Amino acid sequence: MPSNLTDPAAPAVLPRSARARLLAATWLGNAVALASRLAGKGSGASIRGQVLTWLAPEAFAQLLQGRRVLAVSGTNGKTTTTHLLAAAIRAGLGSQADRLVTNADGANLHYGIASALSQRPKADIAVLETDERVVSDMIAHARPELLVLLNFSRDQLDRHHEIKSLGRSWRVALERAGQAGPTIVANACDPLVVWSAGTAARVVWVETATIWNADGALCPACGTILRRTPSGHGQRWDCPGCELRQPEAGYRVDGADIVLPDGGRVHPDLQVPGSFNVSNAACALAAALEFGVDVETALAGMHTVTAPAGRFATASFGSTTARLLLAKNPAGWAEALPLAASDPVILAIDSAAADGKDVSWLWDVPYEQLAGRTVICSGPRAQDLAVRLSYAGVDHEIEPDLGAALGERKAAVDVIATYTPFQALLKMAGLR
Amino acid sequence: MSPVEIVLVYQSLLGIYGDRGNAMVLRQRLAWRGIDAVLTEVEPGDTVPSTGAVYLLGGGEDAAQVSAVKGLRADGHIFDAVERGSVLFAVCAGYQIVGNTFTVGEHDDVIEGLCLLDVTTRRGSERAVGEILSHWTKPDDTESLVTGFENHGGFTTLGPKATPLARVEIGIGNANDGTEGAVQGKVIGTYPHGPVLARNPELADHLLELALDRELGPLPRPELDELRRQRVAAVRKAGLRR
Ligand SMILES: [Zn+2]
Repeated sequence: MPSNLTDPAAPAVLPRSARARLLAATWLGNAVALASRLAGKGSGASIRGQVLTWLAPEAFAQLLQGRRVLAVSGTNGKTTTTHLLAAAIRAGLGSQADRLVTNADGANLHYGIASALSQRPKADIAVLETDERVVSDMIAHARPELLVLLNFSRDQLDRHHEIKSLGRSWRVALERAGQAGPTIVANACDPLVVWSAGTAARVVWVETATIWNADGALCPACGTILRRTPSGHGQRWDCPGCELRQPEAGYRVDGADIVLPDGGRVHPDLQVPGSFNVSNAACALAAALEFGVDVETALAGMHTVTAPAGRFATASFGSTTARLLLAKNPAGWAEALPLAASDPVILAIDSAAADGKDVSWLWDVPYEQLAGRTVICSGPRAQDLAVRLSYAGVDHEIEPDLGAALGERKAAVDVIATYTPFQALLKMAGLR
Repeated sequence: MSPVEIVLVYQSLLGIYGDRGNAMVLRQRLAWRGIDAVLTEVEPGDTVPSTGAVYLLGGGEDAAQVSAVKGLRADGHIFDAVERGSVLFAVCAGYQIVGNTFTVGEHDDVIEGLCLLDVTTRRGSERAVGEILSHWTKPDDTESLVTGFENHGGFTTLGPKATPLARVEIGIGNANDGTEGAVQGKVIGTYPHGPVLARNPELADHLLELALDRELGPLPRPELDELRRQRVAAVRKAGLRR
């Protein structure tokens, strides 16, 4: 039963002392964010949130209270999906679009979310990109109406050692929330997502076009090796050892189209590229429809999304025009590589904390597909990439400095970068 | 002469740290020397060939380790291969499962390994995560630096039949006891995971020489020397701050 889009909510009115502290913390946070911006250190959203939650530790929970919350999580695609969902709901709200607040810059930890909410105290609908580690707190504190779970794959194993333990924390939080818990919109093709959502009161399943399943060999419930059998469009999975199996989905991705629960077929006509973004759009569409937006309006809204937080943006660097693609892990690279068609193509690798300190994942990415073109290896770990490409038989040059790698080019070039160099590129291009 | 067979075992279970890279490196280093090589990938349920020259095991999570031991025991061919004198190179979780016992899960359940290497693994006092640098004494008694990245919660102790592979300069290694890895005949286990052979071509060639029972000679690659120089410098710089 879809909820009513126009139902207003009232962000909580806090006791005077809490309000005063939050106000002071927000004011100081804004001042620090401004200083950070003036110093050329980015948007300041994260530092604002840090100051805010340092001065008012309850800010995350307090700022969420009373709002209608839609959260989006998963390893890959959450920023784009959050933008698509926010755009669909804004379209649905029409003249009341300013009721919506979102963390559009991708700051998705406690302080990033608090930071975004503090800027819009009266906005009663929050569409929030949420880091996988924050999902259980989000369920507990925000009582979200909807939670979109996209996928679960290896990411930064130097920090989270077992992806399964995150899924376990979601199960516990959903079980605690019980009937009052969120409606989940989830990817039926991802065994770990299906298991993680297994304790939810209500789930809307989406059959996506997932190309990466190297991280789902074992049943997360019982450890048996999963069985994958070909079916009409791709393959289905089930567990020979227990009841876990791919659920029947209401929504289904079919090529560039999305098939709706009533059998109707729509073409999302996206401005963000790649088949994985059709899957992201299917999840966003399912969530928007659950929230009470109609199909046409939701699609019209999603059509306006072009470069969420700089992803897929075309930017100018001197005389060089470059399209910027972000890839944070093997699954993300598998999706991004087919999109990067330029010759040469620039690949930028770093191993700062935000990228993951261990670059062994380079050996899981199918760089062999670049054979025949020239790769310019850039970023602080360019040498590691160069050795990987040598073994893959791909021609390459090494230019660790991003600016020099971009150079002065006549033809447009595609750049795929890990998190830190991607942010550096956005800054160089004046996009953040 | 039939091609040299490199067998990559259970990547879907033991391959989370780019461990496929070790197989790519071995095959390519043979190809660069004009030696015909073939890469065979086996998954649980497939028959493991007993004809391989080198067998490779990689890193994986707890449940995957248990599953891999079960599969390899049921198949049995890996035991024949080691008996026959094939090289077995096991990394990280793979290193743990070729030993006598290891532990998994929150309650540290003790699991029997493949017993191909006389080592025992138990949960360590801290998780070892970071760049590691060790000194490996080659068969000709000269020394080579081994650079890699370790990420493991288990600490491994060696029994009398195994000898350490290397001496740790920076990092945790087996059990923060100054030793790293273990060797017993042609079975070699080590913690630095994934493309450890990409960063350490001498170790890669050592495995191939063991398998082929002949010397291969040098294969100069300035790009690899530069990567090694960068990684050694980085870990030494960071190591001083630790
Ligand atoms: Zn099962």
